Amino acid sequence: MPLLSLLIFLPLAGALLVALLPRERASLYRWIAVAVTSAEVILSGLAYAQFDRGQAGYQLLEQADWITLPMGSLGVASIDYLVGIDGISLPLVLLSAVVMLVGVVSSWGIHGRPQAYFALYLLLTGTIMGCFVALDFFLFFLFFEFMLLPMYFLIGLWGGPRREYASIKFFLYTLAGSVLILLVMIGLYLSVIDPVSTAVAAGLIDSPSDMTAEVLRAVQFQLLHGQLNPAQIVHTFDWRYMADGANYLPNSFLSIFGEVSIGGMPSRMLAFWALFIGFAVKLPIVPLHTWLPDAHVEAPTPVSVVLAGVLLKIGGYGFIRVVWGLFPDGGAQYATVLGGLGAFTIVYGGLNALAQNDLKKMIAYSSVSHMGFVLLGVASLTAEGVNGAVYQMVSHGVLSSMLFLLTGVLYDRTHDRRIDSYRGLLTPMPQYATLTAVAFFASLGLPGFSGFVGELFTLMGGYQSTYLPGWITAVSVLGIVLAAAYFLWTLQRMFFGETWVRTYADDATQAIADLTLREQWLLIPLGMLALTLGLFPNLVFGLTNSTVAQWMLKFVE
Amino acid sequence: MPDSTQTLLLTCLLGLPFVGAIGLGVLKNRVPESVSGFLAVLLTAIGLFVSVVIAASVGEPLHWQTDWISFSGHTFPLSFQLDALSRLMLVVVHGVALLVQLYSIEYMRGDARIGPYFAYLQLFVGAMLGIVLAGNLLILYGFWELVGLASYLLIGFWYHRPSASRAATKAFLMNRIGDAAFLLGILLTYIQTGSVDFGTQPLTTAAGLCLFMGCVAKSAQFPLLTWLPDAMEGPTPVSALLHAATMVAAGIVLLARIHPMLSSDALTVVAAIGTATALWGGFSALFQLDIKRVLAFSTVSQLGLMVAAMGTGNVSGALFHLLTHACFKAGLFLAAGSIIHAVHTQDMRAMGGLRKALPYTFAAYVICAAALAGVPLLSGFLSKEVVLGGAVVWAAQRGGLAMLVPVGLLISSGLTAVYMARQLRLVFWGEPTDAEMIPHEPGWLMRGPVLLLAILSVGVWFSINPLSAHHSPFFAQMHLPVLPEGPVWLAPLSIALVLVGGWLGFRLREPATDSKLALASFHYGYLDQLYQRLFVNPTRALANFLHRADQRAVDGLVNGFGIGTVLLAHIAAFIDRIGVDGVVNGAGKLAVGVGQLTRSVQGGRVQTYIATAVAVVLFLLWWIL
Repeated sequence: MPLLSLLIFLPLAGALLVALLPRERASLYRWIAVAVTSAEVILSGLAYAQFDRGQAGYQLLEQADWITLPMGSLGVASIDYLVGIDGISLPLVLLSAVVMLVGVVSSWGIHGRPQAYFALYLLLTGTIMGCFVALDFFLFFLFFEFMLLPMYFLIGLWGGPRREYASIKFFLYTLAGSVLILLVMIGLYLSVIDPVSTAVAAGLIDSPSDMTAEVLRAVQFQLLHGQLNPAQIVHTFDWRYMADGANYLPNSFLSIFGEVSIGGMPSRMLAFWALFIGFAVKLPIVPLHTWLPDAHVEAPTPVSVVLAGVLLKIGGYGFIRVVWGLFPDGGAQYATVLGGLGAFTIVYGGLNALAQNDLKKMIAYSSVSHMGFVLLGVASLTAEGVNGAVYQMVSHGVLSSMLFLLTGVLYDRTHDRRIDSYRGLLTPMPQYATLTAVAFFASLGLPGFSGFVGELFTLMGGYQSTYLPGWITAVSVLGIVLAAAYFLWTLQRMFFGETWVRTYADDATQAIADLTLREQWLLIPLGMLALTLGLFPNLVFGLTNSTVAQWMLKFVE
Repeated sequence: MPDSTQTLLLTCLLGLPFVGAIGLGVLKNRVPESVSGFLAVLLTAIGLFVSVVIAASVGEPLHWQTDWISFSGHTFPLSFQLDALSRLMLVVVHGVALLVQLYSIEYMRGDARIGPYFAYLQLFVGAMLGIVLAGNLLILYGFWELVGLASYLLIGFWYHRPSASRAATKAFLMNRIGDAAFLLGILLTYIQTGSVDFGTQPLTTAAGLCLFMGCVAKSAQFPLLTWLPDAMEGPTPVSALLHAATMVAAGIVLLARIHPMLSSDALTVVAAIGTATALWGGFSALFQLDIKRVLAFSTVSQLGLMVAAMGTGNVSGALFHLLTHACFKAGLFLAAGSIIHAVHTQDMRAMGGLRKALPYTFAAYVICAAALAGVPLLSGFLSKEVVLGGAVVWAAQRGGLAMLVPVGLLISSGLTAVYMARQLRLVFWGEPTDAEMIPHEPGWLMRGPVLLLAILSVGVWFSINPLSAHHSPFFAQMHLPVLPEGPVWLAPLSIALVLVGGWLGFRLREPATDSKLALASFHYGYLDQLYQRLFVNPTRALANFLHRADQRAVDGLVNGFGIGTVLLAHIAAFIDRIGVDGVVNGAGKLAVGVGQLTRSVQGGRVQTYIATAVAVVLFLLWWIL
């Protein structure tokens, strides 16, 4: 069964179905969405079951020729439909499936145009899955760009008062980042060959299935010494080939020998930074983060959940897979700067969170701070750090979903997100308060919950790294103090003391209702998931470990 | 013991409190309040029974370990150990917790949230047991933070009171500062030794001090001591538990575990911090007006004593003092609870003359207070002698500034006698302030634990020799070396100090509450105000500044960039309209003009067509050129 293709195309088909369904069947939209996202959870579960965790390479590969175009002396252009997963993408696929389901269920109360909403939502689901399983840069970029479209409309049409501003900002910000990615993608394409197809084109073998290690070495040898006929060289977007330095054309734009430089800077380093900025917008990394608070504040609850729970992770995934994965030389050379940027993001986000009076903005900035740990972990170039970074992404995906759902619960009741509009909520809403406290403590890194493990191992990686000076990690540790400060201060201000709610201030007798059954069914499993991951971190590390170990080999020399 | 038995015992010891916490938390108020209390007491009693059985069966230390997290080449096991220290603490924690829970059944009767209360207590106990049993630093840290959580929940238990929730937040945050350093210490340990096990070799001084910072926060050492007095906002039985057997004791347990990993420089710092804390706490206790605050600062001071003992290499002395202190301090807090229960105030100025109304409580309080002050024949005297003796021997080997440690500890000992005597005078002597109010002794559920703890504060349980603990069975049980005895003048000197201090505290007239000295003591050296100015306000100012900067500068740049682009687009559009389009329109107008001209001349229709054709040609010309 083509599991991964189903993961991508099932939601796309679902989106089409919702779009084509007549208006009279309006009540079906959400059920289709629930069915499709539930199927996604099952499909990703099947992928998990079939995944061999001891093996490091890509698995469940599906490949099909898509575009092949002879371009004369420029060689042959080849774009493949190529999908597969490894230990880095699988946890994120699983996370996405769960978060997308949570998002649908929390979309129950969405107002207006349900057809468009659920069609866009399913489109988003498909493109997100595509981002995590695509192994061809072109294919990835397609999904990456296409994801913006539904997101733009979901914020812009169903958002809060400043939704237009927020959605355009989000769109332009990400688009600016992806222009940089596009440039590097083209540069990479012109610099990398597909050794298998080239071997076929050069007549060394008859069909790709005859490929052996000797032929590969022969092709790469000929490539290195300029013995290949340019017309027979097949260029590729395949990440697997891009990740191998031996497939780079000498004297090409991004040649691993670094012959080309622009403005005195080697082109590979420029490309590294361009890619880094492109993905850092998504994560986000300070100072490229200012779209996030606006987008979160204006987005409806389910979209916030998806945004924080999944979309940010594409930034971190891009770091590991593309930025560091294809340019390990850049990662090693600028490790200190990048680690420092991570530490800065942690502290900057934390301090900003402390200053917020809007609950959603506070959580948005806490996301910024938590994503700083991802950068720190990746920049450390240690097994602990990179495993920790993936873990941190999964953990944050679960916890931030929970946090944004909790914000939505309150907003649904009072249409007021200001922290100082509430006091003593524990009395009328004990369940809500309890779950908020659980989410807050889990997010501030209470051992037993997942937040702790992610922070611990990224910090451990930071300390252990030969690339990063110790002070970077020491500064990052401040982040966990700040997290305790902003979460507990919020808890104190909103939930303790005598009950007072600004919305109901004139009518003190009106009670504010506690969680509904549906809200409980959303929040409690997420809390349990965070607890399970925190108690059994090997659930994630077992998946990531082998892949990360192989990934680390790039940095050995 | 066979493996399965060990696993069973460990699961039982660690599992019961957590099962209790979850169970009671879920049950909440669905069961009658007496049932919650009964269940909690039952679970703790089972735990105590198991602990006593374990403690009685002297054996080799047990280790129990399983994989928890593993990477290529690195493993972080889930590891527990049962050694002499854990055996001791198991009994202490369970014992005190049991008494506190029994006491709570009566003390908290009628509270609306009795279910959660006992659930939190169980969590507190379970977390503390985890610390005691933890087999490596990482596991210890996990339970360490859980203790922080439990204390947060209990200190802020009466959440309606803003002061209570503030105190809870403060306690957790201040502990978090220490914990962050502690975590850093664990990471450094991992880097230096390749594992997170309790090492046997000294680490670098920096790593050792980072680990020690955990203890500084949890055990309320200088400079992170200001959360402890505020923690009084919790229900009084919680204070008893927190001050005697959990939370603050956790720091001492940690120090005992990491003692071999501390370099000699680090130990010197530990001794200095301990001494400073002992003095700071002693001074701050002098002029407090709240009955529980006096006890809180006495805890700070006594913890300083224990930490200083650790610093002087006297692990056994520190643990011995921890044990005796657990009994009399729990006794004092529970007795104070009985008093508060009876007079409905914590202000000692509103008490007075209670010795007649509360004879049992009075007797227990006097015994425990005397033990705390170090009166001979009581347990406190014995353990203080061991601590002080160790410090004197340690200082004598070093000379010079090291002498400040024993001198400081002796002074703080004297201060203890002063403030406890003052407290006894204010609470029990004199005349009742309110003649109409007749306080009553509480019921036996509260009286019993207090009396039992007072009895346990008598020295004979710890050492047959009433004046020296050196042959106490405690040290043999703990497999710890006892330091050489202090000089002969030490015992007479400390007895003299107790007498003088007690006399001063009892006889001295209270200075005006607004005198500089009293105020400085009352505000514990203005530490809170200092922190507010030095850390809290600047952090919030920085946060607000960064927030504004983020909105105006960083986001302003982004918006500016956006506006600039739009502006540029408008300029381009303008040029397009006026320049490029202008030419086109101009040509069109010209053609129309020409056409109208010809029409006006000849008035025929054909001319219009010609004009149109000319215009089109003109346009095409312009387009091509």
